[in-house]
Amino acid sequence: MKGTIICIGNRFVEEDCAGLQVFDCLQAMHPLPTGIELVEGGLAGLNLLPLLEQGGRVVFVDAVKGFTQSGEIVVLTHREILQSPGQFRFGHEAGLPYVLAILPKVCDGELPEDIVLLGLEGRCVEKTLEKAAKMSVAMAMHGLRDLG
Amino acid sequence: MVKIAKGINIPLNRAEGDLEINVEIKDGIITEAWSAGTLFRGFEGMMRGRGALDGLVMTPRVCGICSITHLTAAAEALDAIAGVTPPDNARRLRNLALMVETVQSDVRQAILMFMVDFANREAYGDHPLGKDAHGRYQPLAGRAALEVIRESKRLLQVLAIIGGQWPHTSFMVPGGVTSIPEISKLLQCRIIVEHFQSWYERSILGCSIERWSAVRSVSDLAAWLTESPAHRDSEVGFFVRFSRQAGLHTLGKGPNRFLSYGNFPLPADTAVQGTAGRMTAAGYAVGTSVFPFEADKITEDVSHSWYEQGAVPTHPFVGKTKPYASGQSGTLYSWVKAPRYGGEVIETGPLAEMIVAGNPLFLDLIEKDGANVMARQLARFVRPAALLVPMAAWLGELVDKRGDSFYHSVRSIPDGQGAGLIQAARGALGHWVKIQDEKIVNYQIITPTAWNGSPRDENGLRGAWEEALIGTPVKDSKNPVEAGHVVRSFDPCLVCAVHCLHKGRECGSVKVGSGR
Repeated sequence: MKGTIICIGNRFVEEDCAGLQVFDCLQAMHPLPTGIELVEGGLAGLNLLPLLEQGGRVVFVDAVKGFTQSGEIVVLTHREILQSPGQFRFGHEAGLPYVLAILPKVCDGELPEDIVLLGLEGRCVEKTLEKAAKMSVAMAMHGLRDLG
Repeated sequence: MVKIAKGINIPLNRAEGDLEINVEIKDGIITEAWSAGTLFRGFEGMMRGRGALDGLVMTPRVCGICSITHLTAAAEALDAIAGVTPPDNARRLRNLALMVETVQSDVRQAILMFMVDFANREAYGDHPLGKDAHGRYQPLAGRAALEVIRESKRLLQVLAIIGGQWPHTSFMVPGGVTSIPEISKLLQCRIIVEHFQSWYERSILGCSIERWSAVRSVSDLAAWLTESPAHRDSEVGFFVRFSRQAGLHTLGKGPNRFLSYGNFPLPADTAVQGTAGRMTAAGYAVGTSVFPFEADKITEDVSHSWYEQGAVPTHPFVGKTKPYASGQSGTLYSWVKAPRYGGEVIETGPLAEMIVAGNPLFLDLIEKDGANVMARQLARFVRPAALLVPMAAWLGELVDKRGDSFYHSVRSIPDGQGAGLIQAARGALGHWVKIQDEKIVNYQIITPTAWNGSPRDENGLRGAWEEALIGTPVKDSKNPVEAGHVVRSFDPCLVCAVHCLHKGRECGSVKVGSGR
């Protein structure tokens, strides 16, 4: 199955750059396994929608707040992302819950079979970023299976 | 008895906490306002010491909404330093990309960020059109809300083709562009633009662009509304009817001074018309009196911003960005500087473009009611009508002239300074760049939101939307939708901020309150 890793966040804001730091780790790991596409999603917001109309498995990598201890990694399912309260009005920033909530209503192609978010809480050391990069590849290839 | 309300909270621009508006309300009227950017970004500092071309890669990542816009400004600044004029085909491609971003932003902002408040049942439950508004604009379910996302999303394919990739293309370089789309791809772009135009005419205008262009006065607008059910029921028709009944033409006057840098440099050989080499005119207006734009009149004041104090307002070529957040308690209240034009507060954005260009409908609207929320928002909503036809024309010219040049060689960037001054979706955007030994020694950016959302200056003059808020009636301080209309009509965007998933937090709840 095709897998897409989409790293999102703001490279220039310390508390929001973890997703892009993982992107840099993944780029250094090139070539990625066959069938895995890597995307620097940045702050694209609603403009990420076309990337979610190609079926397959989608792994978002982003900074999160309030889900686990600082420096830790958390995995959120599609359902858990959508349960984030009060994030369903569009703004210039159009966060992930808004994008995923609107997706089935505007999709022109094939919805992803699975969507997960690999979240990085607070400031993460290089070892954590590398671990997140490897986890994102594993999840893009196999889903949540074998994560342990 | 005078009642003073402080500390009210509204979801103002849903920009997730980086914009805070504090107001004082006396007897239900806003009497004072302070606008604070609450996040220091410091992009300018990050640019210093980097390679001359790094602005092309870094500045588009500053903002997800305006990435092409920043790329355009960065490329134009380097063109100026290199002393190169890009070939016609590069002009066409650059303009097309910027137009796609602008058109997409205009329709999304109108439906998803401004008119969504018409579906605010607490504020407009009794409005004669409130129920209809709810069906059109309620978040995630309104008919128009879903349609605008679906249609604007498809435009992205044009950027992917022109830029060679999406997201984060850096296809603009000093001297031109790096991508030369195949004829088949250009034809595909033309089909996408024509499809979008067809939707825009059918759903947004309710008529052809040609018919809309014949609306040249307030009385023409009234006649247009009654001419056909398609006009009345279109999104523009609905917006005008709802706004009039809600009194939006009486809110948000602002500084009554307008600035446009002009936009879309014209190819030497093109059927698209313009003024002084640009499709969209540059100028400064006081009311409806328009004067030539003089770039040297731009200064930045930091007297009320959290930056090192003591210097007089300076032109951005010599401006510095040195954060200094301590001391001056109560005087300094924003990370946004205060840009001024000839020392004056100005408003920028689509309404300014319409006035500077001498659009007769908007001149008439301003002469009758002054600048206001309805006129400001209408200007944004109908701006695509002026862009879609030139987009199709330039795509046609690209197909016909694809064999011509797309790039003039620039081997290196010489020492010097240059500015890229363009119109972003939200208004005047400038990149001022100074290069020495192929390194950036100074990089200053003034965004449209810095112009519109600036704090006070050394003369105590309020920023544009601070001024526009004064006199705004607020019926319910717990649901101050009127203040939201005023600020949102400027389309505030401080998106280059934090946006991560935050457990248990309401995204974009922006504080309106005292205690600056």
